[in-house]
Amino acid sequence: MRPFFCLLLLALALSFGGCAQPSRTLTDAAPAAADLDSLPRVAGILSADLVLEGALVLADDLLVPAGVTLVLRPGTRVYVVPSESTKIEPEWLSSATELLVRGTLRSEGTAEQPVVFEPLSSSAGTVYAWAGLLLDGATDSLIRHTRIQNAEQGVLCINSSPEIRDSRILSCRYGITAQQQSSPTLVGNLLQGGEAGVFCWNESHPLIQDNHIVGHNEEGLFIDRGSRPRLLGNRITGNGIGLALYDPGLAGAADQVRGNRQDLRLLGLPGGRP
Amino acid sequence: MRHSWILAMLLLVVVWPTSIFAQQAYRGEDTLWQDTVWDGEVLIDGILTVAPGVTLEIRPGTVVRFTPMDSNGDGIGEHEMFIQGRLLALGTQDAPIRFTSTAADPRPGSWGAINMMLAEDEENVLTHCIIEHAYRGFHAHFSRARVSDSYFRRNMRGFQFQESEVVIERCLLEDNLNGLQFRNSQVRLVDSTVKGSYWGVRCVYSELDMQGCRIEGNLINGVNLRDSTLTASGNLIAANRRGLYLQRSRGSVTGNLVRGNSEHGIFLEESEAEISGNRIVDNGRAGVRWLNAQGRVAGNHIEGNGLYAISNEGTTPAPAPGNWWGSADPAVWAVLLRDGRLNPETGLVEAVDPLEQAPGLDLPDF
Repeated sequence: MRPFFCLLLLALALSFGGCAQPSRTLTDAAPAAADLDSLPRVAGILSADLVLEGALVLADDLLVPAGVTLVLRPGTRVYVVPSESTKIEPEWLSSATELLVRGTLRSEGTAEQPVVFEPLSSSAGTVYAWAGLLLDGATDSLIRHTRIQNAEQGVLCINSSPEIRDSRILSCRYGITAQQQSSPTLVGNLLQGGEAGVFCWNESHPLIQDNHIVGHNEEGLFIDRGSRPRLLGNRITGNGIGLALYDPGLAGAADQVRGNRQDLRLLGLPGGRP
Repeated sequence: MRHSWILAMLLLVVVWPTSIFAQQAYRGEDTLWQDTVWDGEVLIDGILTVAPGVTLEIRPGTVVRFTPMDSNGDGIGEHEMFIQGRLLALGTQDAPIRFTSTAADPRPGSWGAINMMLAEDEENVLTHCIIEHAYRGFHAHFSRARVSDSYFRRNMRGFQFQESEVVIERCLLEDNLNGLQFRNSQVRLVDSTVKGSYWGVRCVYSELDMQGCRIEGNLINGVNLRDSTLTASGNLIAANRRGLYLQRSRGSVTGNLVRGNSEHGIFLEESEAEISGNRIVDNGRAGVRWLNAQGRVAGNHIEGNGLYAISNEGTTPAPAPGNWWGSADPAVWAVLLRDGRLNPETGLVEAVDPLEQAPGLDLPDF
């Protein structure tokens, strides 16, 4: 295990040397194997700040520890290698390939040059092929004009309050989860497809504004008893249940919820209906 | 007089080949080649091996400290113990044994682990121990061990092992990154608490017998088994993100309180399970999520779960006889049971013979 980590760290150092590298630009089409082989690969534990741009491969779990910053410049395209094993090693938050941030993540896409996270095809054939961006005690983080697709969780915030803006979270099982006192700023995002859009759990109080939450099999937005998000100008449509919540006081946001199989579900009542 | 003193010393050496007055500091790579007893303060400033056939006994009140060393910068301390013989760490309630770091500001992973390797012949025993700030508090391969009345706190993993038989009784695992993870092992987890982890209990290809435990406040899953077998009774599984999650596993889950988990109380994915006599209440999404599972959900008290009592999201039917749904009104059941009546592509929840009132379940007093 230890030599493995050393190799990974060495590979990181050789591939990037802690600064940006010029690299090729790929189109939206899945790259050929030969193209992938020529791309830089990242995995392991970052020991220093790192700036990425161009196309690269997330070959295995990557941890950004506390005190370390990972920057993704506009146009960065990250091809994620799914985990094919039944590993429970290392012990991070998922058995799937994950980008775990305990320091700072700055995903600095622009409208013209978004940052993209895209899994390579999995022999297991699962729709949710990788874990996603997992922020655990992360600080000063930004996810802007970033496309995240086919993840178990697009963005998981545990005690983290990033700014997630103008991003597209597509076909992820859970779009964005805020738990354990997380108060992210979610503005202008599209969350589409998958099981559920946004969860607010365990005293999480995000600002959820001007997002389009559409086409999830189950909840568009779920708010538990202890969470109090601010809901402004969202369009929550085409989900199984548009808005599921306990606190009737938040039901005033019902005007943001239209065209779901069930628009509003008040929880904790027999039958669950308002 | 002098002759008798020499005779006595010779006799002591012959009949007692144990180093009682063991050295109190071990530096670099060192090995215990004969039975050894520790008492008082012990410093491990390197990697200490207990050779095959050798027993290390640690007396009550002993404090074993490990110096921090992270040569490759991966955040994991490397100074640790390898038990290839036998470990008897026999603390008492009044004088526990403590394994800790010398670091001024220790964190999970400040030192390595208590490793047990190829120790199948004789059981390792840890009782009344405090193990803190390690990468792996307890780590074993191909070993047998019994751990009781011990406290694991702020380790990266409280327990991690594989190909081992481990009994854990009356232990508290608190604020470890992962509480207990193992594979290809047989485990009895009894009257213990696992709380404040990311993953509380996590295993693959294993058999877990869990009785009288509290699994609380774990951020990802309370208990997760994959390709494994579970027997669970008399446990509290509460306030985790998911409570009990079985993947491709078999289970008998009876007489438990599954309460207040953020997502699902019980999630059965391609698993076969008997879920009976449990109180499954106040979970956020579904009391029971059924995904291509087999078995049945019978004789439970299922009430007050956020979205659904049972959500059948696969193609197999979910037999659910004799449960109390929190209401005697069939119109309420229709909302609480999500199945093929809502989505014809999914199986039914066969909620026959519903109870007319909450059953008197024989649950522990949590």
